[in-house]
Amino acid sequence: MIITAQKPLDEILDILSPYNSILIAGCDGCTQPPRGLREARTLAQLLELGGKLRSKNFNLRVTTLPKQCDSYLTLTTLQAQIEGIEAILSLACGLGVQTITQVLPDIPTFPSQNTLFIGAEIREDSTIEERCAACGDCMLAITGGICPIARCAKSLLNGPCGGSQHGKCEIDPEKDCAWDLVIKRLEKLGRLSALDEIRAPRNFGQVVRPGRIRV
Amino acid sequence: MCFSACPFEAIKRDPETGKLFLEIEKCQVCAICYSGCPAKAIDIIYYDMNSLTRYLENAKEEYRSDSLVILCKGSAPDFQDVEKLFGISKFIPLSVPCVGRIPPELLLRALFPLGIKKIYILACDEDYCRFERGSSITGRRITALNVLLEQSGYGKELIKLKRNSLKVKADRNKCISCGNCVFYCPYDAAKLDNGAAIFNLELCRGCGLCVTLCPAFALDLDHWEEDRISALISELPKEKKKANILVLRCQWSVFPKLDEEFDSNVHIIDMPCAARVDPLHILEAFRQGIDGILIAACPEEDCKSKTGSTEARRSATALKKTLSQIGLEERLHFCSVAPRYPEAFREELKQFKVMIEIACSKEVRQ
Repeated sequence: MIITAQKPLDEILDILSPYNSILIAGCDGCTQPPRGLREARTLAQLLELGGKLRSKNFNLRVTTLPKQCDSYLTLTTLQAQIEGIEAILSLACGLGVQTITQVLPDIPTFPSQNTLFIGAEIREDSTIEERCAACGDCMLAITGGICPIARCAKSLLNGPCGGSQHGKCEIDPEKDCAWDLVIKRLEKLGRLSALDEIRAPRNFGQVVRPGRIRV
Repeated sequence: MCFSACPFEAIKRDPETGKLFLEIEKCQVCAICYSGCPAKAIDIIYYDMNSLTRYLENAKEEYRSDSLVILCKGSAPDFQDVEKLFGISKFIPLSVPCVGRIPPELLLRALFPLGIKKIYILACDEDYCRFERGSSITGRRITALNVLLEQSGYGKELIKLKRNSLKVKADRNKCISCGNCVFYCPYDAAKLDNGAAIFNLELCRGCGLCVTLCPAFALDLDHWEEDRISALISELPKEKKKANILVLRCQWSVFPKLDEEFDSNVHIIDMPCAARVDPLHILEAFRQGIDGILIAACPEEDCKSKTGSTEARRSATALKKTLSQIGLEERLHFCSVAPRYPEAFREELKQFKVMIEIACSKEVRQ
Protein backbone atom coordinates (compact mmCIF):
# COMPACT_ATOMS: atom_id res chain seq x y z
CA MET A 1 0.00 0.00 0.00
CA ILE A 2 1.07 3.57 -0.57
CA ILE A 3 1.39 5.30 2.75
CA THR A 4 0.53 8.95 3.13
CA ALA A 5 0.27 11.37 6.04
CA GLN A 6 -2.02 14.35 6.12
CA LYS A 7 -0.35 17.71 5.73
CA PRO A 8 -0.70 20.18 8.60
CA LEU A 9 -4.10 21.90 8.32
CA ASP A 10 -2.44 25.30 8.23
CA GLU A 11 -0.52 24.33 5.11
CA ILE A 12 -3.69 23.06 3.40
CA LEU A 13 -5.57 26.21 4.41
CA ASP A 14 -2.76 28.34 2.96
CA ILE A 15 -2.81 26.43 -0.32
CA LEU A 16 -6.58 26.77 -0.60
CA SER A 17 -6.83 30.40 0.50
CA PRO A 18 -7.33 31.87 -3.01
CA TYR A 19 -10.29 29.56 -3.73
CA ASN A 20 -13.83 29.25 -2.43
CA SER A 21 -15.52 26.34 -4.18
CA ILE A 22 -13.43 23.26 -3.64
CA LEU A 23 -13.99 19.58 -4.37
CA ILE A 24 -12.34 17.23 -1.89
CA ALA A 25 -11.62 13.94 -3.62
CA GLY A 26 -10.96 10.81 -1.59
CA CYS A 27 -9.38 7.65 -2.95
CA ASP A 28 -10.62 4.15 -2.04
CA GLY A 29 -7.51 2.66 -3.59
CA CYS A 30 -4.46 1.38 -1.83
CA THR A 31 -3.87 3.73 1.09
CA GLN A 32 -4.45 2.27 4.54
CA PRO A 33 -6.44 3.46 6.36
CA PRO A 34 -8.32 4.20 3.16
CA ARG A 35 -8.71 7.90 2.50
CA GLY A 36 -12.19 7.50 1.09
CA LEU A 37 -15.47 9.26 1.73
CA ARG A 38 -15.15 9.32 5.54
CA GLU A 39 -11.71 10.96 5.39
CA ALA A 40 -12.94 13.39 2.76
CA ARG A 41 -15.89 14.45 4.93
CA THR A 42 -13.70 14.65 8.02
CA LEU A 43 -11.20 16.87 6.23
CA ALA A 44 -14.03 19.03 4.90
CA GLN A 45 -15.32 19.59 8.45
CA LEU A 46 -11.82 20.39 9.69
CA LEU A 47 -11.21 22.85 6.88
CA GLU A 48 -14.53 24.54 7.48
CA LEU A 49 -13.70 24.90 11.16
CA GLY A 50 -10.17 26.07 10.41
CA GLY A 51 -11.42 28.38 7.68
CA LYS A 52 -13.91 30.01 10.03
CA LEU A 53 -11.10 30.82 12.44
CA ARG A 54 -9.40 32.62 9.55
CA SER A 55 -12.68 34.31 8.61
CA LYS A 56 -12.87 32.27 5.46
CA ASN A 57 -16.03 30.50 4.38
CA PHE A 58 -15.30 27.66 2.01
CA ASN A 59 -17.90 26.04 -0.17
CA LEU A 60 -16.74 22.43 0.06
CA ARG A 61 -18.02 19.39 -1.76
CA VAL A 62 -16.80 15.85 -1.17
CA THR A 63 -16.49 12.78 -3.34
CA THR A 64 -14.42 9.65 -3.57
CA LEU A 65 -12.92 7.64 -6.41
CA PRO A 66 -12.25 3.92 -6.60
CA LYS A 67 -8.66 4.57 -7.74
CA GLN A 68 -7.44 8.09 -8.43
CA CYS A 69 -4.49 6.71 -10.40
CA ASP A 70 -6.83 5.29 -13.05
CA SER A 71 -7.09 8.17 -15.49
CA TYR A 72 -10.18 6.90 -17.30
CA LEU A 73 -12.14 6.19 -14.10
CA THR A 74 -11.04 9.47 -12.59
CA LEU A 75 -12.01 11.56 -15.59
CA THR A 76 -15.40 9.92 -16.03
CA THR A 77 -16.26 10.11 -12.34
CA LEU A 78 -15.07 13.66 -11.73
CA GLN A 79 -16.35 15.23 -14.93
CA ALA A 80 -19.92 15.20 -13.66
CA GLN A 81 -18.98 16.83 -10.37
CA ILE A 82 -16.81 19.80 -11.27
CA GLU A 83 -19.31 22.41 -12.26
CA GLY A 84 -18.48 25.61 -10.41
CA ILE A 85 -15.46 24.01 -8.76
CA GLU A 86 -12.37 26.28 -8.59
CA ALA A 87 -9.91 23.79 -7.15
CA ILE A 88 -9.64 20.12 -6.25
CA LEU A 89 -8.03 18.85 -3.06
CA SER A 90 -6.89 15.27 -3.39
CA LEU A 91 -6.61 12.79 -0.54
CA ALA A 92 -4.65 10.35 -2.69
CA CYS A 93 -0.91 9.85 -3.05
CA GLY A 94 1.16 12.03 -5.37
CA LEU A 95 0.09 9.81 -8.22
CA GLY A 96 -3.59 10.60 -7.69
CA VAL A 97 -2.91 14.34 -7.65
CA GLN A 98 -1.03 14.09 -10.93
CA THR A 99 -3.66 11.92 -12.57
CA ILE A 100 -6.38 14.46 -11.79
CA THR A 101 -4.10 17.26 -13.01
CA GLN A 102 -3.60 15.35 -16.25
CA VAL A 103 -7.27 14.58 -16.91
CA LEU A 104 -8.65 17.93 -15.72
CA PRO A 105 -5.93 20.41 -16.73
CA ASP A 106 -8.17 23.48 -16.38
CA ILE A 107 -8.68 23.07 -12.64
CA PRO A 108 -5.79 23.28 -10.19
CA THR A 109 -5.47 20.11 -8.08
CA PHE A 110 -3.64 20.17 -4.76
CA PRO A 111 -2.36 17.46 -2.45
CA SER A 112 -3.69 17.18 1.10
CA GLN A 113 -1.20 14.43 1.79
CA ASN A 114 2.51 13.90 1.98
CA THR A 115 3.24 10.62 0.21
CA LEU A 116 5.72 8.67 2.28
CA PHE A 117 6.49 5.14 1.15
CA ILE A 118 5.25 1.70 0.17
CA GLY A 119 4.41 0.10 3.46
CA ALA A 120 2.12 -1.98 5.59
CA GLU A 121 -0.09 -1.10 8.48
CA ILE A 122 0.66 -3.23 11.52
CA ARG A 123 -2.74 -2.74 13.12
CA GLU A 124 -1.87 -4.73 16.25
CA ASP A 125 0.77 -2.12 17.01
CA SER A 126 -0.92 0.92 15.44
CA THR A 127 2.12 1.55 13.28
CA ILE A 128 2.83 1.70 9.58
CA GLU A 129 6.22 0.52 8.33
CA GLU A 130 8.05 0.81 5.05
CA ARG A 131 8.47 -2.53 3.31
CA CYS A 132 9.47 -1.92 -0.32
CA ALA A 133 11.74 0.75 -1.78
CA ALA A 134 10.74 0.12 -5.42
CA CYS A 135 14.49 -0.25 -6.15
CA GLY A 136 14.00 -2.10 -9.41
CA ASP A 137 16.27 -5.06 -8.58
CA CYS A 138 14.43 -7.26 -6.11
CA MET A 139 16.61 -9.36 -3.81
CA LEU A 140 13.84 -10.85 -1.62
CA ALA A 141 14.58 -14.29 -3.06
CA ILE A 142 18.05 -14.25 -1.46
CA THR A 143 17.12 -12.52 1.81
CA GLY A 144 14.29 -14.81 2.90
CA GLY A 145 11.47 -12.46 1.98
CA ILE A 146 12.70 -9.53 4.06
CA CYS A 147 13.93 -6.44 2.24
CA PRO A 148 17.16 -4.87 3.53
CA ILE A 149 16.98 -2.09 0.94
CA ALA A 150 13.76 -0.72 2.41
CA ARG A 151 14.16 -1.85 5.99
CA CYS A 152 17.86 -1.30 6.75
CA ALA A 153 18.73 2.32 7.54
CA LYS A 154 21.80 2.03 5.31
CA SER A 155 20.21 -0.22 2.69
CA LEU A 156 23.17 -2.57 3.19
CA LEU A 157 23.61 -5.44 0.76
CA ASN A 158 25.87 -7.31 3.18
CA GLY A 159 24.72 -6.88 6.76
CA PRO A 160 24.28 -6.43 9.58
CA CYS A 161 26.57 -3.54 10.46
CA GLY A 162 28.05 -2.90 13.89
CA GLY A 163 25.04 -0.80 14.83
CA SER A 164 22.76 -3.82 15.14
CA GLN A 165 21.95 -4.13 18.83
CA HIS A 166 19.79 -6.94 20.22
CA GLY A 167 17.88 -7.11 16.99
CA LYS A 168 17.26 -3.36 16.87
CA CYS A 169 18.81 -0.59 14.80
CA GLU A 170 21.15 1.90 16.44
CA ILE A 171 19.51 4.86 14.76
CA ASP A 172 16.16 4.05 16.36
CA PRO A 173 15.75 1.36 19.01
CA GLU A 174 12.07 1.03 18.05
CA LYS A 175 13.00 -0.26 14.62
CA ASP A 176 14.06 -3.82 13.89
CA CYS A 177 17.47 -4.43 12.32
CA ALA A 178 16.49 -5.79 8.90
CA TRP A 179 19.65 -7.88 8.65
CA ASP A 180 19.01 -9.43 12.04
CA LEU A 181 15.58 -10.46 10.72
CA VAL A 182 17.11 -11.75 7.47
CA ILE A 183 19.66 -13.93 9.24
CA LYS A 184 17.16 -15.36 11.72
CA ARG A 185 14.79 -16.09 8.88
CA LEU A 186 17.42 -17.83 6.73
CA GLU A 187 18.62 -19.79 9.75
CA LYS A 188 15.08 -21.06 10.25
CA LEU A 189 14.86 -21.99 6.58
CA GLY A 190 18.29 -23.71 6.76
CA ARG A 191 19.53 -21.43 4.00
CA LEU A 192 22.09 -19.33 5.81
CA SER A 193 24.65 -20.34 3.17
CA ALA A 194 22.83 -18.01 0.77
CA LEU A 195 24.75 -15.22 2.49
CA ASP A 196 28.18 -16.80 1.98
CA GLU A 197 28.67 -14.86 -1.20
CA ILE A 198 29.56 -11.20 -0.68
CA ARG A 199 27.35 -9.09 -2.91
CA ALA A 200 29.14 -6.43 -4.91
CA PRO A 201 27.94 -2.83 -4.67
CA ARG A 202 24.90 -2.19 -6.80
CA ASN A 203 25.06 -0.10 -9.88
CA PHE A 204 22.38 2.40 -9.07
CA GLY A 205 23.29 4.12 -12.34
CA GLN A 206 21.18 1.50 -14.07
CA VAL A 207 18.07 2.80 -12.34
CA VAL A 208 16.71 5.35 -14.73
CA ARG A 209 14.46 8.11 -13.47
CA PRO A 210 11.81 8.79 -14.53
CA GLY A 211 10.87 5.15 -14.97
CA ARG A 212 9.01 4.16 -18.10
CA ILE A 213 8.11 0.76 -19.51
CA ARG A 214 5.94 -0.22 -22.40
CA VAL A 215 3.36 -2.94 -21.79
CA MET B 1 -29.13 -14.87 46.77
CA CYS B 2 -27.12 -11.81 45.77
CA PHE B 3 -23.93 -13.82 46.12
CA SER B 4 -25.07 -16.33 43.50
CA ALA B 5 -26.89 -13.84 41.26
CA CYS B 6 -24.05 -11.31 40.80
CA PRO B 7 -22.70 -11.75 37.25
CA PHE B 8 -19.38 -10.11 38.15
CA GLU B 9 -18.46 -11.97 41.32
CA ALA B 10 -18.41 -8.66 43.16
CA ILE B 11 -20.21 -10.04 46.18
CA LYS B 12 -17.94 -12.13 48.38
CA ARG B 13 -18.35 -14.09 51.55
CA ASP B 14 -15.96 -13.50 54.43
CA PRO B 15 -14.62 -16.97 55.21
CA GLU B 16 -14.33 -16.23 58.93
CA THR B 17 -17.56 -14.43 59.77
CA GLY B 18 -19.64 -15.84 56.91
CA LYS B 19 -20.94 -12.34 56.17
CA LEU B 20 -21.34 -11.08 52.63
CA PHE B 21 -19.49 -8.01 51.46
CA LEU B 22 -19.22 -6.01 48.23
CA GLU B 23 -16.00 -5.61 46.26
CA ILE B 24 -16.90 -2.23 44.83
CA GLU B 25 -14.21 -2.24 42.10
CA LYS B 26 -15.89 -5.22 40.47
CA CYS B 27 -19.43 -3.91 40.78
CA GLN B 28 -21.04 -2.79 37.48
CA VAL B 29 -24.15 -1.44 39.23
CA CYS B 30 -26.51 -3.72 37.30
CA ALA B 31 -28.65 -3.95 40.47
CA ILE B 32 -29.59 -7.58 39.87
CA CYS B 33 -28.72 -8.14 43.53
CA TYR B 34 -30.91 -5.21 44.56
CA SER B 35 -33.94 -6.39 42.65
CA GLY B 36 -33.54 -9.93 43.98
CA CYS B 37 -32.80 -9.29 47.65
CA PRO B 38 -35.70 -10.70 49.68
CA ALA B 39 -34.61 -8.85 52.81
CA LYS B 40 -34.25 -5.41 51.16
CA ALA B 41 -30.80 -5.31 52.67
CA ILE B 42 -29.20 -3.72 49.60
CA ASP B 43 -29.33 -0.04 48.70
CA ILE B 44 -28.79 1.13 45.16
CA ILE B 45 -27.64 4.49 43.83
CA TYR B 46 -29.82 4.51 40.72
CA TYR B 47 -33.48 3.67 40.19
CA ASP B 48 -34.39 2.58 43.69
CA MET B 49 -37.95 1.56 44.50
CA ASN B 50 -38.91 4.99 45.78
CA SER B 51 -37.68 6.97 42.81
CA LEU B 52 -39.18 4.46 40.36
CA THR B 53 -42.54 4.60 42.11
CA ARG B 54 -42.42 8.38 42.12
CA TYR B 55 -41.61 8.37 38.43
CA LEU B 56 -44.53 6.09 37.64
CA GLU B 57 -46.94 8.21 39.67
CA ASN B 58 -45.97 11.33 37.77
CA ALA B 59 -45.65 9.63 34.39
CA LYS B 60 -49.15 8.17 34.61
CA GLU B 61 -50.52 11.70 34.69
CA GLU B 62 -48.14 12.97 32.05
CA TYR B 63 -48.63 10.22 29.46
CA ARG B 64 -52.32 9.54 30.24
CA SER B 65 -51.99 5.85 29.57
CA ASP B 66 -52.44 2.66 31.54
CA SER B 67 -49.82 0.68 29.60
CA LEU B 68 -46.29 0.70 30.93
CA VAL B 69 -43.29 -0.15 28.74
CA ILE B 70 -40.04 -0.89 30.53
CA LEU B 71 -37.09 -0.80 28.16
CA CYS B 72 -33.48 -1.77 28.58
CA LYS B 73 -31.33 1.04 27.18
CA GLY B 74 -29.12 -1.60 25.58
CA SER B 75 -31.69 -2.69 23.04
CA ALA B 76 -34.37 0.00 23.07
CA PRO B 77 -35.24 1.23 19.59
CA ASP B 78 -37.10 4.46 18.80
CA PHE B 79 -40.50 4.85 20.43
CA GLN B 80 -42.25 4.34 17.08
CA ASP B 81 -40.56 0.97 16.78
CA VAL B 82 -41.61 0.11 20.34
CA GLU B 83 -45.19 0.83 19.28
CA LYS B 84 -44.85 -1.52 16.35
CA LEU B 85 -43.12 -4.19 18.40
CA PHE B 86 -45.88 -4.44 20.98
CA GLY B 87 -48.76 -3.23 18.81
CA ILE B 88 -49.69 -0.36 21.14
CA SER B 89 -49.92 3.36 20.53
CA LYS B 90 -49.92 5.13 23.88
CA PHE B 91 -47.69 4.10 26.73
CA ILE B 92 -45.67 5.22 29.71
CA PRO B 93 -42.01 4.69 28.86
CA LEU B 94 -39.48 3.73 31.49
CA SER B 95 -35.98 3.31 30.15
CA VAL B 96 -33.43 1.69 32.44
CA PRO B 97 -29.91 0.31 32.13
CA CYS B 98 -30.81 -3.40 32.30
CA VAL B 99 -34.35 -4.53 33.08
CA GLY B 100 -32.78 -6.98 35.54
CA ARG B 101 -32.66 -4.12 38.04
CA ILE B 102 -36.46 -3.87 38.30
CA PRO B 103 -37.69 -5.56 41.49
CA PRO B 104 -40.82 -7.70 40.91
CA GLU B 105 -42.37 -5.67 43.70
CA LEU B 106 -42.33 -2.59 41.49
CA LEU B 107 -44.32 -4.40 38.81
CA LEU B 108 -46.93 -5.37 41.39
CA ARG B 109 -47.02 -1.81 42.71
CA ALA B 110 -47.55 -0.53 39.18
CA LEU B 111 -50.36 -3.00 38.54
CA PHE B 112 -52.28 -2.54 41.75
CA PRO B 113 -52.05 0.70 43.66
CA LEU B 114 -51.17 2.61 40.47
CA GLY B 115 -53.72 0.94 38.23
CA ILE B 116 -51.53 0.07 35.27
CA LYS B 117 -53.47 -2.43 33.15
CA LYS B 118 -50.66 -4.05 31.21
CA ILE B 119 -46.87 -4.05 31.47
CA TYR B 120 -44.61 -4.59 28.47
CA ILE B 121 -40.96 -5.32 29.05
CA LEU B 122 -38.36 -5.08 26.34
CA ALA B 123 -35.20 -6.88 27.41
CA CYS B 124 -32.06 -7.57 25.41
CA ASP B 125 -31.61 -10.94 23.77
CA GLU B 126 -30.03 -13.13 26.41
CA ASP B 127 -26.63 -13.32 24.75
CA TYR B 128 -26.73 -9.55 24.14
CA CYS B 129 -27.25 -8.58 27.80
CA ARG B 130 -24.52 -6.21 28.95
CA PHE B 131 -24.86 -7.61 32.44
CA GLU B 132 -24.79 -11.22 31.35
CA ARG B 133 -27.70 -12.45 33.46
CA GLY B 134 -30.04 -9.46 33.55
CA SER B 135 -32.21 -10.58 30.67
CA SER B 136 -32.46 -14.25 31.61
CA ILE B 137 -33.24 -13.49 35.26
CA THR B 138 -35.97 -11.05 34.14
CA GLY B 139 -37.40 -13.76 31.90
CA ARG B 140 -37.70 -16.21 34.79
CA ARG B 141 -39.19 -13.59 37.10
CA ILE B 142 -41.84 -12.58 34.60
CA THR B 143 -42.86 -16.19 33.94
CA ALA B 144 -43.27 -16.78 37.69
CA LEU B 145 -45.14 -13.51 38.22
CA ASN B 146 -47.53 -14.19 35.35
CA VAL B 147 -48.36 -17.63 36.75
CA LEU B 148 -48.97 -16.09 40.15
CA LEU B 149 -51.18 -13.37 38.70
CA GLU B 150 -53.17 -15.79 36.60
CA GLN B 151 -53.73 -18.10 39.56
CA SER B 152 -54.95 -15.14 41.57
CA GLY B 153 -57.54 -14.45 38.88
CA TYR B 154 -56.04 -11.41 37.17
CA GLY B 155 -55.97 -12.90 33.69
CA LYS B 156 -53.29 -14.26 31.39
CA GLU B 157 -49.95 -12.62 30.59
CA LEU B 158 -50.44 -9.34 32.39
CA ILE B 159 -46.76 -8.74 31.88
CA LYS B 160 -45.52 -9.24 28.37
CA LEU B 161 -41.84 -9.76 27.70
CA LYS B 162 -40.06 -9.33 24.39
CA ARG B 163 -36.42 -9.37 23.54
CA ASN B 164 -34.49 -7.28 21.11
CA SER B 165 -30.95 -6.35 20.15
CA LEU B 166 -29.43 -3.63 18.02
CA LYS B 167 -26.91 -4.79 15.47
CA VAL B 168 -24.82 -3.76 12.51
CA LYS B 169 -26.25 -3.29 9.02
CA ALA B 170 -23.94 -3.69 6.04
CA ASP B 171 -24.41 -2.33 2.53
CA ARG B 172 -22.50 -4.52 0.08
CA ASN B 173 -22.69 -1.89 -2.63
CA LYS B 174 -20.78 0.71 -0.63
CA CYS B 175 -18.11 -1.65 0.75
CA ILE B 176 -14.58 -1.07 -0.58
CA SER B 177 -13.23 -4.25 1.04
CA CYS B 178 -10.60 -2.46 3.10
CA GLY B 179 -10.91 -5.03 5.89
CA ASN B 180 -11.09 -2.55 8.79
CA CYS B 181 -14.23 -4.15 10.22
CA VAL B 182 -12.74 -7.62 9.91
CA PHE B 183 -9.70 -6.60 11.90
CA TYR B 184 -11.31 -4.36 14.51
CA CYS B 185 -14.52 -6.27 15.33
CA PRO B 186 -14.01 -7.43 18.93
CA TYR B 187 -16.36 -10.37 18.33
CA ASP B 188 -15.01 -11.69 15.01
CA ALA B 189 -18.41 -11.09 13.47
CA ALA B 190 -17.10 -9.58 10.21
CA LYS B 191 -15.67 -11.35 7.18
CA LEU B 192 -14.87 -10.38 3.64
CA ASP B 193 -16.91 -12.39 1.21
CA ASN B 194 -16.49 -11.92 -2.54
CA GLY B 195 -15.13 -8.43 -2.11
CA ALA B 196 -17.61 -7.15 0.50
CA ALA B 197 -17.99 -7.27 4.26
CA ILE B 198 -20.58 -9.65 5.65
CA PHE B 199 -21.51 -10.05 9.30
CA ASN B 200 -22.50 -12.99 11.42
CA LEU B 201 -25.24 -11.22 13.34
CA GLU B 202 -25.29 -13.88 16.00
CA LEU B 203 -21.84 -12.73 17.03
CA CYS B 204 -22.42 -8.97 16.63
CA ARG B 205 -22.92 -7.21 19.94
CA GLY B 206 -23.71 -3.80 18.54
CA CYS B 207 -20.78 -1.76 19.87
CA GLY B 208 -20.57 0.26 16.66
CA LEU B 209 -16.78 0.26 16.41
CA CYS B 210 -16.84 -1.00 12.81
CA VAL B 211 -19.39 1.66 11.86
CA THR B 212 -17.18 4.42 13.21
CA LEU B 213 -14.15 3.03 11.39
CA CYS B 214 -15.73 2.21 8.04
CA PRO B 215 -14.12 4.58 5.50
CA ALA B 216 -16.94 4.13 2.99
CA PHE B 217 -20.07 4.54 5.18
CA ALA B 218 -21.02 1.01 4.18
CA LEU B 219 -21.96 0.09 7.76
CA ASP B 220 -24.54 1.43 10.14
CA LEU B 221 -25.92 0.43 13.51
CA ASP B 222 -29.58 -0.12 14.38
CA HIS B 223 -30.94 2.89 16.28
CA TRP B 224 -27.50 4.55 16.28
CA GLU B 225 -27.44 5.36 12.58
CA GLU B 226 -24.97 7.93 11.29
CA ASP B 227 -27.85 10.14 10.14
CA ARG B 228 -29.85 9.80 13.34
CA ILE B 229 -26.93 10.96 15.49
CA SER B 230 -26.24 13.82 13.05
CA ALA B 231 -29.87 14.86 13.34
CA LEU B 232 -29.73 14.76 17.14
CA ILE B 233 -26.69 17.03 17.03
CA SER B 234 -28.21 19.52 14.64
CA GLU B 235 -31.41 19.67 16.71
CA LEU B 236 -29.53 20.72 19.85
CA PRO B 237 -30.31 24.27 20.90
CA LYS B 238 -27.19 26.38 20.63
CA GLU B 239 -27.22 29.48 22.74
CA LYS B 240 -25.31 32.51 21.57
CA LYS B 241 -24.52 33.95 24.97
CA LYS B 242 -23.53 30.80 26.83
CA ALA B 243 -20.89 28.16 26.24
CA ASN B 244 -22.64 25.15 24.66
CA ILE B 245 -21.43 21.82 25.94
CA LEU B 246 -22.17 18.42 24.48
CA VAL B 247 -21.54 15.19 26.35
CA LEU B 248 -21.25 12.05 24.25
CA ARG B 249 -21.78 9.46 26.90
CA CYS B 250 -21.41 5.71 26.78
CA GLN B 251 -24.70 4.59 28.28
CA TRP B 252 -22.88 2.11 30.52
CA SER B 253 -20.37 4.60 31.90
CA VAL B 254 -22.87 6.82 33.68
CA PHE B 255 -26.46 5.91 34.37
CA PRO B 256 -28.75 8.88 33.95
CA LYS B 257 -30.93 9.49 36.93
CA LEU B 258 -34.67 9.62 36.45
CA ASP B 259 -35.01 13.20 37.61
CA GLU B 260 -31.62 14.31 36.41
CA GLU B 261 -31.35 17.87 35.20
CA PHE B 262 -28.36 19.68 33.83
CA ASP B 263 -27.77 23.33 33.14
CA SER B 264 -29.57 24.48 30.03
CA ASN B 265 -26.31 24.74 28.09
CA VAL B 266 -25.23 21.15 28.77
CA HIS B 267 -26.60 18.57 26.34
CA ILE B 268 -26.23 14.83 26.59
CA ILE B 269 -26.37 12.26 23.83
CA ASP B 270 -26.11 8.66 24.93
CA MET B 271 -24.07 6.21 22.89
CA PRO B 272 -24.27 2.41 22.82
CA CYS B 273 -20.52 2.33 23.57
CA ALA B 274 -17.83 4.99 23.39
CA ALA B 275 -16.64 3.15 20.27
CA ARG B 276 -19.63 4.59 18.43
CA VAL B 277 -18.40 8.15 19.07
CA ASP B 278 -17.59 9.26 15.56
CA PRO B 279 -14.98 11.98 14.97
CA LEU B 280 -17.20 13.19 12.17
CA HIS B 281 -20.07 13.82 14.60
CA ILE B 282 -17.71 15.69 16.89
CA LEU B 283 -16.60 17.95 14.06
CA GLU B 284 -20.19 18.45 12.92
CA ALA B 285 -21.13 19.56 16.43
CA PHE B 286 -18.22 22.02 16.62
CA ARG B 287 -19.12 23.43 13.24
CA GLN B 288 -22.72 23.92 14.31
CA GLY B 289 -21.79 25.99 17.34
CA ILE B 290 -21.05 23.51 20.13
CA ASP B 291 -18.14 24.94 22.11
CA GLY B 292 -16.94 21.92 24.03
CA ILE B 293 -17.38 18.16 23.76
CA LEU B 294 -16.86 15.73 26.60
CA ILE B 295 -16.65 12.03 25.81
CA ALA B 296 -17.56 9.83 28.76
CA ALA B 297 -16.35 6.26 28.35
CA CYS B 298 -16.05 3.31 30.69
CA PRO B 299 -12.67 2.45 32.19
CA GLU B 300 -11.05 -0.06 29.81
CA GLU B 301 -11.49 -2.96 32.24
CA ASP B 302 -15.23 -2.24 32.57
CA CYS B 303 -15.93 -1.86 28.84
CA LYS B 304 -19.01 -3.85 27.90
CA SER B 305 -17.69 -4.37 24.38
CA LYS B 306 -14.12 -5.56 24.92
CA THR B 307 -11.98 -3.04 23.02
CA GLY B 308 -14.60 -0.30 22.61
CA SER B 309 -13.28 2.03 25.26
CA THR B 310 -9.63 1.52 24.25
CA GLU B 311 -10.37 2.30 20.60
CA ALA B 312 -12.50 5.28 21.57
CA ARG B 313 -9.62 6.74 23.58
CA ARG B 314 -7.24 6.21 20.69
CA SER B 315 -9.58 7.86 18.23
CA ALA B 316 -10.19 10.83 20.56
CA THR B 317 -6.44 11.28 21.10
CA ALA B 318 -5.83 11.30 17.34
CA LEU B 319 -8.62 13.81 16.78
CA LYS B 320 -7.32 16.08 19.54
CA LYS B 321 -3.94 16.06 17.83
CA THR B 322 -5.53 17.16 14.56
CA LEU B 323 -7.66 19.76 16.33
CA SER B 324 -4.51 21.18 17.92
CA GLN B 325 -3.47 22.31 14.43
CA ILE B 326 -6.35 24.77 14.45
CA GLY B 327 -6.13 25.55 18.15
CA LEU B 328 -9.21 23.61 19.24
CA GLU B 329 -7.66 20.72 21.18
CA GLU B 330 -8.92 22.00 24.52
CA ARG B 331 -12.49 21.83 23.27
CA LEU B 332 -12.47 18.04 23.28
CA HIS B 333 -11.99 16.00 26.41
CA PHE B 334 -12.09 12.24 26.94
CA CYS B 335 -12.76 10.83 30.38
CA SER B 336 -13.28 7.37 31.83
CA VAL B 337 -15.95 7.08 34.47
CA ALA B 338 -17.88 4.23 36.03
CA PRO B 339 -21.44 4.22 37.32
CA ARG B 340 -20.30 2.96 40.72
CA TYR B 341 -18.75 6.39 41.31
CA PRO B 342 -21.45 8.82 40.16
CA GLU B 343 -19.53 11.78 41.58
CA ALA B 344 -16.64 11.18 39.18
CA PHE B 345 -18.70 12.09 36.13
CA ARG B 346 -20.22 15.16 37.77
CA GLU B 347 -16.76 16.34 38.74
CA GLU B 348 -15.39 15.80 35.21
CA LEU B 349 -18.33 17.69 33.74
CA LYS B 350 -17.98 20.53 36.21
CA GLN B 351 -14.28 21.01 35.49
CA PHE B 352 -14.77 20.75 31.75
CA LYS B 353 -17.61 23.26 31.86
CA VAL B 354 -15.49 25.78 33.72
CA MET B 355 -12.66 25.31 31.25
CA ILE B 356 -14.88 25.77 28.21
CA GLU B 357 -16.61 28.79 29.73
CA ILE B 358 -13.21 30.43 30.30
CA ALA B 359 -12.12 29.57 26.74
CA CYS B 360 -15.33 31.07 25.33
CA SER B 361 -15.06 34.25 27.35
CA LYS B 362 -11.49 34.72 26.11
CA GLU B 363 -12.74 34.33 22.56
CA VAL B 364 -15.33 37.05 23.08
CA ARG B 365 -12.72 39.45 24.44
CA GLN B 366 -10.43 38.97 21.44
